[in-house]
Amino acid sequence: MLRTVLICDDAVFMRTMLSDILSHAGFSIVGEAQTGKEAVAKYKELQPDLVTMDIVMPDMGGIEAVRAICAEYPDAKILMCSAMGQQSLVVEAIQAGARDFVVKPFQPSRVLEAVQRVLG
Amino acid sequence: MELNRYLDLYLSESHDHLRLLNKSLLALEDRAAAPGAIEEAFRAAHTIKGMSSTMGFTSVSDMAHELENLLDQIRTGVRTADAGTMDELLAAADALEHAVNAAATGTPAPGGVEAAAAAPNAAKRLDVDADFYARISLQEDEPMKLARAMILTRTATSQGLAERSVPEQFTDDFDGEFALVLKPDADEGALRKLLEAASEIASFRIVRAAAVPATHAPATPTAPAPAPKVNYVRVDQRRLDEVADSLGEIAILQGRLDQVMNSDNSPLSDMVTRMTRLISELQHSILAMRMVPVADVFDRFPRMVRDAARALGKDVDFKIEGNDIEIDRAILEEVADPLVHLLRNAVDHGIETPAERTKAKKPAKAKLVLRAWRERSSVRIQVQEDGRGVNAKKVLAKARALGLAVPETGDVGNEDLLRILCAPGFSTAEQVTDVSGRGVGMDAVAAKIRALGGAIDMQTRLGHGTTFTLRLPLTLAIAQALRVRVGGEDYAIPLTHVAEAVELDSCEIERHKGREVLRLREEVLPLVRLRTVMRSTQNGSESAAVIAELGERRTALAVDELVGREQILVKQFDGAVGTLPIFSGVTLLADGRPALVLDPVSVV
Repeated sequence: MLRTVLICDDAVFMRTMLSDILSHAGFSIVGEAQTGKEAVAKYKELQPDLVTMDIVMPDMGGIEAVRAICAEYPDAKILMCSAMGQQSLVVEAIQAGARDFVVKPFQPSRVLEAVQRVLG
Repeated sequence: MELNRYLDLYLSESHDHLRLLNKSLLALEDRAAAPGAIEEAFRAAHTIKGMSSTMGFTSVSDMAHELENLLDQIRTGVRTADAGTMDELLAAADALEHAVNAAATGTPAPGGVEAAAAAPNAAKRLDVDADFYARISLQEDEPMKLARAMILTRTATSQGLAERSVPEQFTDDFDGEFALVLKPDADEGALRKLLEAASEIASFRIVRAAAVPATHAPATPTAPAPAPKVNYVRVDQRRLDEVADSLGEIAILQGRLDQVMNSDNSPLSDMVTRMTRLISELQHSILAMRMVPVADVFDRFPRMVRDAARALGKDVDFKIEGNDIEIDRAILEEVADPLVHLLRNAVDHGIETPAERTKAKKPAKAKLVLRAWRERSSVRIQVQEDGRGVNAKKVLAKARALGLAVPETGDVGNEDLLRILCAPGFSTAEQVTDVSGRGVGMDAVAAKIRALGGAIDMQTRLGHGTTFTLRLPLTLAIAQALRVRVGGEDYAIPLTHVAEAVELDSCEIERHKGREVLRLREEVLPLVRLRTVMRSTQNGSESAAVIAELGERRTALAVDELVGREQILVKQFDGAVGTLPIFSGVTLLADGRPALVLDPVSVV
């Protein structure tokens, strides 16, 4: 069975790119979210194998969304997507329960490497 | 970059040099052989040092450096090679062997590699209070080292491999060096897999500090990850060499058969033609199997250049060009050491410090280029820097002081300079440095390139930099050669060095400053009569000349007769006593007769 992914990012460009990288690698993109709130709601609805989470999003940021998801689903596998120079935010996300992170600009190989690691 | 890919190569090459080291140390006790033996021991230790530091095995390269110092004391007469010193040297060689094995397998040898690694190194500052741990260095350019270390620690912990990290908490000044304290029963293979897959890791080493049980099997070096879509079979290099050798012999036999058939129109002739085609196809495939991209060796260099530049306070922009050029694997492996020497020399001696460069109105960042390209049936590899250039005056003064033969006149060409630089023991470095040592490099480089049937060329301009160009045959096994006759004997000249061949009656021979020269079209070339070189006493006269090309210089070699072009299988040999030192090997010609292979480099 294909592994399912929920992509959370407020930029269409980033969502498209991630969706391309992951679907090429054989994942099934089951949902997309543009805000933290939407991410939490979609997670509850879809319970995907993997979530990619942008850090800065309108209407609840990625870190808060991680906290909200992990509070209810401690096993949630969330991969943070960060821009350069956001290390303190990444650290905060890790402490909140994110499993790994990738740094923009994305290299497909790095994204898949992190995904592999998160899914074990 | 995954240095583990080179572990096999590192191990097998180090073992070759360790054997050489032991052999030459033993020869030291024989007074007559001592001077040569000490140079050889020196070179072996030096090469191990270079390779180890490339792999990041600081402790091993430190040990090799110590051994070099000891040998230097003997060379300079500070110490004599008495029994006590010999014991010390052999013990040091043993320790070095243990260290090489331990470093390569990631387990300390009895006696402790760690103990030997007292060098002030960034990685060594980390004090790990555990017996079983993995030491990890993150990539220098990793933008989020702290977060990476946290994730790696958590992943390894959650997989039941690690207990904690050292340091336990990562702070903002974290520099990318940390350790994972491993659970005593941790699955080393799983850990290796995890760490090897993490591209943010520059290097790692698994250390078991407690005494290793005698039965402990060293972890096997991991096979290189196969590239997508292509299925690889790993074959022992020697098997492939055997096949290539046999095939070479078959090809020569077929050449003989062909000669016999030429005088005969029997139906066999068709079969021979068919066989000829099949053999040549087979030969092609085998040779292609031996070809590897130079990247296999070049990939190790950026790290080494960076480390060397940093150690010496140089600012270097290092570029590699032609990484995909293919060459025989055996040649590539052999040429790795010479390239290490040339690159280190470039950083150490060629390139100036940023301050010196600014003062000379040059950009503070120096350019260093390693470049490979294909030219006719040879591969060229070039090391080019825009440093200070070789100071001819200094080199000459030093050469005179050392009692080397140097040209009398002030006019010294690049070739004369190169010859002096390649003299054993010669070095222009004013002081000994860890990076390029004491000038054991250039003579070793020249000797190795010649042994491969190649040539080395140097272009230098004071204040503008130096360029070394290596010309190498495409493959070692089978070479294209020109068969010539001199004084009733046939010789083979590898085509790597041949630019063209001309009939002598179409050119004029003149005398110029007491020497014979050949006027070829617009060019005047020095003429060397091989009859004279071979000391041939047979009657006869020269009818043709082979134009040999060595670096920038072209020389005409006069021969009695051009017999033809042939594929030859060169067998390297150590010339017997009394042989002229102008032959690089021996071969069987198509008619089954043995012939010597002429090395044009030594004639010119």
